[in-house]
Amino acid sequence: MKLKETILDPIFKSNPITVLVLGICSSLAVTVTMKGALVMALSVMAVCGISSLILSTLRNTIPGRVRIIVQLVVVAMMVILVDQILKSFEATYPIDKQLSVYISLIITNCIVMGRIEAFALGNKPIPSMLDGLANGAGYGLVLLVVAFFRELLGSGTLFGIQVMPAGYVTNNLVILPPFALILLGCIVWVQRSIQKDLQEK
Amino acid sequence: MNTNNNLYTVVYTTIIVVIVAAVLAFVSQSLKSRQDANEKAETISQMLTAGGFGTKAEFQAMGNAKVLETYGNEVAAAFTVDAAGAKVADLDIAAKEVFSRSQLKAQNYKVKAGEGYALPVFIFKNGITVVPVYGAGLWGPIWGYIAFEADGNTIHGAYFDHESETAGLGAKIKDDPAFQAQFVGEKAFFGESPIFAIVKGGAPKEDGKSLTDNKIDAITGATMTSQGLDAAINAWLGAYAAYFGTAKAVEE
Amino acid sequence: MDLISLFVKSIFVDNMIFAYFLGMCSYLAVSKNVKTATGLGVAVIFVLLVTVPINYLLNKYVLGPDALIQGVDLSFLSVIIFIAVIAAIVQIVEMVVERFAPSLYNALGIFLPLIAVNCAILGGALFMQQKEFANVGESAVYALGSGIGWFLAIVALAAIREKLSYSNVPPALKGLGITFITVGLMGMAFMAFMGISL
Repeated sequence: MKLKETILDPIFKSNPITVLVLGICSSLAVTVTMKGALVMALSVMAVCGISSLILSTLRNTIPGRVRIIVQLVVVAMMVILVDQILKSFEATYPIDKQLSVYISLIITNCIVMGRIEAFALGNKPIPSMLDGLANGAGYGLVLLVVAFFRELLGSGTLFGIQVMPAGYVTNNLVILPPFALILLGCIVWVQRSIQKDLQEK
Repeated sequence: MNTNNNLYTVVYTTIIVVIVAAVLAFVSQSLKSRQDANEKAETISQMLTAGGFGTKAEFQAMGNAKVLETYGNEVAAAFTVDAAGAKVADLDIAAKEVFSRSQLKAQNYKVKAGEGYALPVFIFKNGITVVPVYGAGLWGPIWGYIAFEADGNTIHGAYFDHESETAGLGAKIKDDPAFQAQFVGEKAFFGESPIFAIVKGGAPKEDGKSLTDNKIDAITGATMTSQGLDAAINAWLGAYAAYFGTAKAVEE
Repeated sequence: MDLISLFVKSIFVDNMIFAYFLGMCSYLAVSKNVKTATGLGVAVIFVLLVTVPINYLLNKYVLGPDALIQGVDLSFLSVIIFIAVIAAIVQIVEMVVERFAPSLYNALGIFLPLIAVNCAILGGALFMQQKEFANVGESAVYALGSGIGWFLAIVALAAIREKLSYSNVPPALKGLGITFITVGLMGMAFMAFMGISL
């Protein structure tokens, strides 16, 4: 596979959320605000990229029977590191608090494990890292789109800055998790109307 | 190399686990002081917000060092009190000693049991007293700080936080300044015990002004969070009742 | 808390899917028909029921502050221990089931590896830690309730999806799109349970 495709495909054509249906859980809980979504997106990119790099480097030495456990341990290590680092900086501490268990749940975010299984274990370290980063970015893109609508309609703000006119009555439905699913459905709808080859029969 | 050999599998897994544990232990130890500092600054900024020394956003913007400095300038005394309202021990003001969430949680068990607790009291130079409350919301713990005027009865301000209440509903105890503003001017104690109430359907009021001294509006769509907060406030203020009672007796 | 109310609460009020949206990946992927959905649902109940109490004991007697060695707080390791326990248990369960109940293995087997990375299982452990149960019995009841809640949710969605295949859905919305929207609507219905205190 060409390098350019490795990077660009996961962002649009084979987006992990809307096409591969991976990593839905966290996309619902963290998309109430743009800030939360952005931090989550960057965390997933970091975890996905670096654990792909590590596991791809180790790929020929991992014993087959404990493959999943070794993968989980490495991914979990990365996630805990990200969590600890977010907690340590003044700027990110409140966001980490807001995301609470959902940072830990990146471990079981199927995007990470899915890409490691499908790509990193069969490819060289550098392309694997790029694949991980790109999938994280594709995931982040959807997260940001969902968060954009939810924060705009639900709180009248973007990144915490008031953008709606003062009289705007915030929509509580948009903030509740079920709406994120409906919004995701609409995103899938739009994407599949454009890319007709993705439509299911 | 035969990677399916039993010995190899065991050794390999052990090495990986040991490496990972070592990395994590190292990182966790080296970042611990920073994390504790963040938690402490957060706690102090919540107390200062309740005390009306500024808004939460302002404290957020000024950074940890300034928050601690403000606290150092404003605080007059900090100590713990027991069920009888007597002082148990001093908290170190110079070191900005406060109660962390895990300490509040530990005290909450004792408050529920009704004995054996030592709860923190923070008195500021302008006569305001700030005390914490802690309890359970719908999904997880909720906690906060209530500031009293010098009479130990009139509420000067309040700030609440939560771990995982529903965004847009229960989360309003933290995010909605209008909810917290309702507390201002209310009276917490009638006689000896607190009978503070967060009322579903709205507190009786006229022209937008509250008619009663101890009732405020619950949050629409967040009944459980409102009830949890109500229970937390009454339990904790009940535990402080003796302290505020004695404080009043001395004044009179 | 009284065990029966904890049980009912964890099935409906704290439903893993509709209240926390955990375990979504396999929830969406394996809900095309009722039979496979039932298989995965049973596997989730089973694994939750085994792993949550074990993780509870580990959390209480090994990982907590001052639990193992005085003055040592190992809680930063909790996530990694939980996930390792889950992965190991899933592997053991898979081997045991394959050896002693081949027919069950044929029905359940393919779902077991999927479960190690099911957020609902790790979520169960993390929420168990957050909820601070008083004893191992409560954690087991919570695990059973959460598992049953997940089971009901996936069987319900599978039943709806089987019927949906006869409906006239816009082509671009077919499959994934309409499933997202369906789950969103089901989630809204389940929010009715949220205010109930038991």
